[in-house]
Amino acid sequence: MYQNVEAYLSELREGLSGLDPATIQDALADAEDHLQSALEQARREHPEAAPESLLSAIIADFGTPQEIAKAYREIEVRLTPPFAPVKKKDTRPFYVRFFGVLGEPRAYAALLYLLTSIVTGVLYFTWAVTGVSLSVGLMVLIFGLPFFGLFVFSIQGLALVEGRLVEALLGVRMPRRQMPFRAGTGIWKKFVARLKDRRTWTTLAYLVLQLPFGIIHFTIFIVLLAYSLQLMALPVLQLVFDQPLISFSFGKYFVPLWSMPLLFIAGILDVIVLLHLAKFVGRQHGAMAKALLVQRA
Amino acid sequence: MDDQDANRKFQKELNAGAVALVLLSVLDQSQVPLYGYQIAKLLEKHGDKISVVKQGSLYPVLRSLEKGGLLDSNVEPSVTGPPRRYYRITPNGREILAQWVAIWQQNTSFVEAILEGTVDVSER
Repeated sequence: MYQNVEAYLSELREGLSGLDPATIQDALADAEDHLQSALEQARREHPEAAPESLLSAIIADFGTPQEIAKAYREIEVRLTPPFAPVKKKDTRPFYVRFFGVLGEPRAYAALLYLLTSIVTGVLYFTWAVTGVSLSVGLMVLIFGLPFFGLFVFSIQGLALVEGRLVEALLGVRMPRRQMPFRAGTGIWKKFVARLKDRRTWTTLAYLVLQLPFGIIHFTIFIVLLAYSLQLMALPVLQLVFDQPLISFSFGKYFVPLWSMPLLFIAGILDVIVLLHLAKFVGRQHGAMAKALLVQRA
Repeated sequence: MDDQDANRKFQKELNAGAVALVLLSVLDQSQVPLYGYQIAKLLEKHGDKISVVKQGSLYPVLRSLEKGGLLDSNVEPSVTGPPRRYYRITPNGREILAQWVAIWQQNTSFVEAILEGTVDVSER
């Protein structure tokens, strides 16, 4: 049977291959916690028994890697994250697809993510740049290494938080917990493992990149949003409050009355285009987050 | 051998919905949030190994209930191994549980009535 929990987990990992990497990460963490807890209890109750026989009894109750992988496969197909993209091909006519975006929660969620990414971008960027420069600067001092260690561990914490945001607002499946360490791993080994982990460095890159992306997203979408709001509010602004469309130093420009309905329609079209764009950019950003923040099994 | 396979299949089909009901009910009765291993142990104590539900297959069901908003969870570090996910029932989960219990009771009383022969099945 299985020599140890690791052997079981590696077979389970194989069985789960092809599933979402985030699901695999969660499934392995659940299985490991269960098996380790059960093994510990069994050892206390039967200290004389061989660990392998204890483990095989536990696995008989828990299920073989094949059984567990099958259970995950059966359930995962029924699960979709909130605002998940519809997988099947969109066969609605062109105009329904175009205007239908007004009723899609996912488009608004993506817009919200893109507008707030400037805030998270500033936070992540500050954290990453401060962490790196302080780590380098303090390295000559006695507490330089512990500081660097804390910083390295914090990176994956931030990755988890950002992952939750991305899953909730962009609908891309992301991990719900951190990649576990083997039970009893010392702090130094954990630190070295994090340093060797490619994901630590890709996450750091993501944290830095979030700022420029956040600035671009925010600028583009806030301009489009402001523009369309102005177009739609124009009749009220001009007729009620006597505000011009544009005011120059040498005068004000008021639009003619007949163009107001057209400009109002243009404003609505602008919102629709904006939402489509938000959905598209959100998808790209989600794909980037997944590539940089999630470990490939 | 064939009989055993048929029995397993029957039991598995029966369990498919029951597991979700049992998990919801356990978490409803529990005063504190529970993690997967605790729940598995609780069920094992009372199940007397009659069920063919593998403990490992409880986890995907817990996840799907959480996904559906019936459960809520948080992760806490543990001394033995990876961080543990503690589950508790949500208000929405309680509502759904009440409905499921009603469905379950209707179902079982109907099946029992048939099995006991108190329903007249002869054709007229």
